[in-house]
Amino acid sequence: MSSVIEVQNLTKRYRETTALDDVSFSIEQDAIYGLLGRNGAGKTTAMSILTAQNFATSGQVRVFGQAPFENPAVLSRMCFVRESQKYPDDATGRHALRMARLFFPRWDEDLAQDLVEEFELPVKRRIKKLSRGQLSAVGVIIGLASRAEVTFFDEPYLGLDAVARQLFYDRLLQDYAAHPRTVVLSSHLIDEVAPLLERVLVIDRGRILLDEDTDALRGRASAVVGSSAAVEDFVAGREVIHTERLGRVTSATVLGGLSEQDRQRLREADLDVAPVSLQQLVVRLARRAEDSAPKHQELVP
Amino acid sequence: MEEGRPIFVQIAESIEASIVDGSLSEEERAPSINELAAFHRINPATAAKGVNQLVDDGVLYKRRGVGMFVADGARARLLARRTQDFAAAYVDPLLTEARRLGLGPQDVADIIAERSATTRKEPS
Amino acid sequence: MNRTLSVVRLQLVNTQTFVWVPLLVLGGAFLVTMTIFALLPVEGIVGGGAQAPMWYFLVVGVQSLTLTFPFSQALSVTRREFYLGTVLTALLASAALAVTYVLGGLLEEATGGFGTGSVFFQVPGVWSDGWAVAGLVYLVLSFAFFKVGFFCAVVYKRFGTLVLTAGLIVLALLVLVALWAITRAEAWGQVAAWVADAGVLGLTLWSLPVLALLALASYGLLRRALP
Repeated sequence: MSSVIEVQNLTKRYRETTALDDVSFSIEQDAIYGLLGRNGAGKTTAMSILTAQNFATSGQVRVFGQAPFENPAVLSRMCFVRESQKYPDDATGRHALRMARLFFPRWDEDLAQDLVEEFELPVKRRIKKLSRGQLSAVGVIIGLASRAEVTFFDEPYLGLDAVARQLFYDRLLQDYAAHPRTVVLSSHLIDEVAPLLERVLVIDRGRILLDEDTDALRGRASAVVGSSAAVEDFVAGREVIHTERLGRVTSATVLGGLSEQDRQRLREADLDVAPVSLQQLVVRLARRAEDSAPKHQELVP
Repeated sequence: MEEGRPIFVQIAESIEASIVDGSLSEEERAPSINELAAFHRINPATAAKGVNQLVDDGVLYKRRGVGMFVADGARARLLARRTQDFAAAYVDPLLTEARRLGLGPQDVADIIAERSATTRKEPS
Repeated sequence: MNRTLSVVRLQLVNTQTFVWVPLLVLGGAFLVTMTIFALLPVEGIVGGGAQAPMWYFLVVGVQSLTLTFPFSQALSVTRREFYLGTVLTALLASAALAVTYVLGGLLEEATGGFGTGSVFFQVPGVWSDGWAVAGLVYLVLSFAFFKVGFFCAVVYKRFGTLVLTAGLIVLALLVLVALWAITRAEAWGQVAAWVADAGVLGLTLWSLPVLALLALASYGLLRRALP
């Protein structure tokens, strides 16, 4: 596999805040990536800079080996409809789709029409009169039907009900299987999108916290539960990212896979092992990063 | 799919389970990667990883242009491995606990014989 | 296909913005004016309603930046393609409007002010050098309104309300100072003579370098604008 996006030492500073802080990563061709993190972590800023909608303060971005800014050869192969996308005044859903069709060389009109029906999008209604979910559907339809070689989805499920969200995930997988391409899905609902992802980039306060294969990540942490003394004995010397206590029972989340020997030890010590979901793992790693980060401001007691 | 365990492992296990319980017989076509991805709502690359693991283990084999098929003798091999796993997962802890209670292997065997006699009598 | 031309098509997908509303504004102004003319017992009134669509072009100029530009970014259009395509669309729309205006004026002449004996299209001064010049003036003015709207919007987008307001105030002050200076120098006679000398065509041509400057400045600012 070759990488389609290369980011080196990317920094984006606004007047008061640093949205991206010396970030480096790369994105491989034909894979579904999760760009995960809390709201305001820097996800949208990163995607905006990759698509030349925004500008870096410093650092380098290469897409298909070239700088994307004012580069039609690169930009026409990408699609990024942002979560708070603006549309031309008085445009209807039908207008927006007709406009999108003009610019994406791999646009699939049949797919767009199917999706309009499935999402029950009222295409004759003015976009400014659409509900939040219908607005998300417009972005999702453009993103999927564009078949762009690199497609970004920015919190695409906002306002969509459970049925519509599942529809999006199903259609994304289906179309991706038939037409492999690079998809970057930004989300703060980690567990919901986790099964779709091949690789995750976790971004937290402008920094990359994790850049890993999703399946490797899933086996990376386990929660060890049992009597406090036994748990403490077992976790000694291991990397513990979270501990909870209830009476004399302790639950400790440890990093690193468990060997057969470890499992044997756990059985003998009468300890249980519970799986840790991707969401829990990310939240815990983020919290740990927060604790170890130098404090910017002193808390007044 | 349950969270917290690599999904590709779970995919491999689910196919193995179908072979062991006979719902997928030898020389039968196994579900394709895209079918698995759509059914379990997972990334096709993850499904491929699970299938590839079974190919490496000799459980499935590829027929070019047709798909994945269950290998001849796969069921027997899976059963043999499961028997080994059974010993490690159930018998070893059983013996550990038995030692704590001061029971020897023969005592355990007696208990097993007694229990299986009673459970067999009960209609299921 | 050329992506700059695709931007023109993008702007025209919703025909309402660039075609129907300007025509509706012109038609509406025409009907209202004609009704008034018909009700008034006098002839030879000059109405100024024909300029109405130009003000709408100011709004279109603003919206094509604040709303269409962000969407064009989502469609992976470069700023340069968006700018050229949008300017081309505005020129086309201004030209279409100018043609309508000239046709209206000629029809007005032929029918004696549509039977009212008054003037809606053939405003004196504009028509003194014939229909071709009148059409050109109308085209340039419509386009200028669009450009001014677009420029103000891009200034607002880049620097915010404060800078835009300050800029407009400074511009107003400069105009006042110029007016004051002319009065002080008792040069109004010369100015009037110059205007008369240049004629409506001359004045229109004089506005072209200003428009070109505005166009360059808008593009320069747009290149670093965020959607």
